[in-house]
Amino acid sequence: MPDTQWQVFEVFHQTARGEPHVHVGSVHAPDPESALILAKEQFSRRQACVNLWVVPAGAISATDYEDADMFQHGVDKSYREAFGYETTKKARAIGDMQEM
Amino acid sequence: MGAHATTPHDGNATAALSPERVSALSDLLLRLADDELVIGHRNSEWTGLGPILEADIAFSSMAQDEIGHAQAYYRLLADLGHLPPDRMAFLREATEFRCASLVSLPRGDWAFSIVRQFLYDAAEHVRIEALATSSYAPLAALARKISGEEKYHLLHGRTWMMKLGSATEESHRRMQAAVNELVPHALGLFEPTPQDPAIVRLGIQPPESLLAAEWHRAVEPVVREAGLTMPRDPKPAYGGRAGRHPPALSELVAAMQKVFRMDPAAQW
Repeated sequence: MPDTQWQVFEVFHQTARGEPHVHVGSVHAPDPESALILAKEQFSRRQACVNLWVVPAGAISATDYEDADMFQHGVDKSYREAFGYETTKKARAIGDMQEM
Repeated sequence: MGAHATTPHDGNATAALSPERVSALSDLLLRLADDELVIGHRNSEWTGLGPILEADIAFSSMAQDEIGHAQAYYRLLADLGHLPPDRMAFLREATEFRCASLVSLPRGDWAFSIVRQFLYDAAEHVRIEALATSSYAPLAALARKISGEEKYHLLHGRTWMMKLGSATEESHRRMQAAVNELVPHALGLFEPTPQDPAIVRLGIQPPESLLAAEWHRAVEPVVREAGLTMPRDPKPAYGGRAGRHPPALSELVAAMQKVFRMDPAAQW
C-alpha cells in the first residue's frame, strides 16, 4: 500500500567522476526535479558526491526473487568469476578481500 | 553592540586594521550573522513537522547550514575583538540583534516559510557574490566557501516556488499571500545603516541599494515563472538594522537562549 501520494524515486550516488553510480536508497517526491533536491540532502550530506541520479521506481524492470536459482551455475564456472584476475589475487594476498 | 565591543586583539589578520575599518566591518558582519542565526532557528522549528519526511530533513539540514554560516560570521566578529560566537548568540538581548524583520517573523505555514527562505537565499546569493571580491580577505574567503551551499538553497527554493505557485488553487493562494506579505520584509534586508558609506568607501561591500536592485532582478522572473506576482511598489520594512524588531523576535531569542542561560559557564 502506498504510504504517500508522492511517487518513489530510486537514488543513485556517484562519489567521483568516472566512478559508477551506486544505488543508495529512495525518496518520495512529486517529480524528478523535487526528487533531486530532496535526494541531495538525504544521501549526500555525509559522504562525497559529484553527481546524483533519480529514477522513477516504476521505470525499473526487475527479476523475481523466486527465480534466483537461475543465477546458480549447474557446473563449475569459477573460471568466469572475477577471482581469476591478477589484481584480485594480489588484493587477497594483502588481506583486502578475506571474505571471498 | 557597543556594549560588547572590546579592543581588537593583536592577531595577524586584524592587527593592521584601522578603527574605521573595524567599525564598518563589525556593523556589516553583525547584520549578516544575526540574519543567518535567526532564519536558521526559525527554519529549525519545522524539524519533525515538515509536510513529508524528505522535505523535513532537507529543510532542517538547510537550517543547520544557515546556523553554520552564522557561526562563521560571528567568528570573524570575534577576530575583530567581539565576544565569542556562543556568547554573541546566547547572551545578547533581542534589542541588540541587528537582523532584518524578514527572519524574525513566526514561521507561518509551509508556503510562508518556503517563500521566506527563497527571498532570503536570493538576497544571500547576491550578497555573497559581491562579498567574494571584498577588500577584507577573510570575509571574501568565507563568501566563496559558502557559495556552494547557497547554490543548493536557491535551487531548493526555486523548485518549491515553481511547484507550489501553480499546483492547486489553494497552494497558489497561500504562496501569493506569502509573497505579498514578505517582499517588503525582504527589502528590509537591504536597509542602509550609518556605516554604509564607510563600508562602500573601504571596498568591503557595494551599497545596499545596488544589492537590492540585483535582488529584484533575480527574484522577479522566478516569481513570475511560478505564476505569482510581485506586490506593486512595496514599502521596505526597515528597523531591524537599528534594533527595532517585531515582537516575535523576543520570543524566539528567549526560547533559543533558555538552556544556555541556565549555566553560561557550562562546557558543551
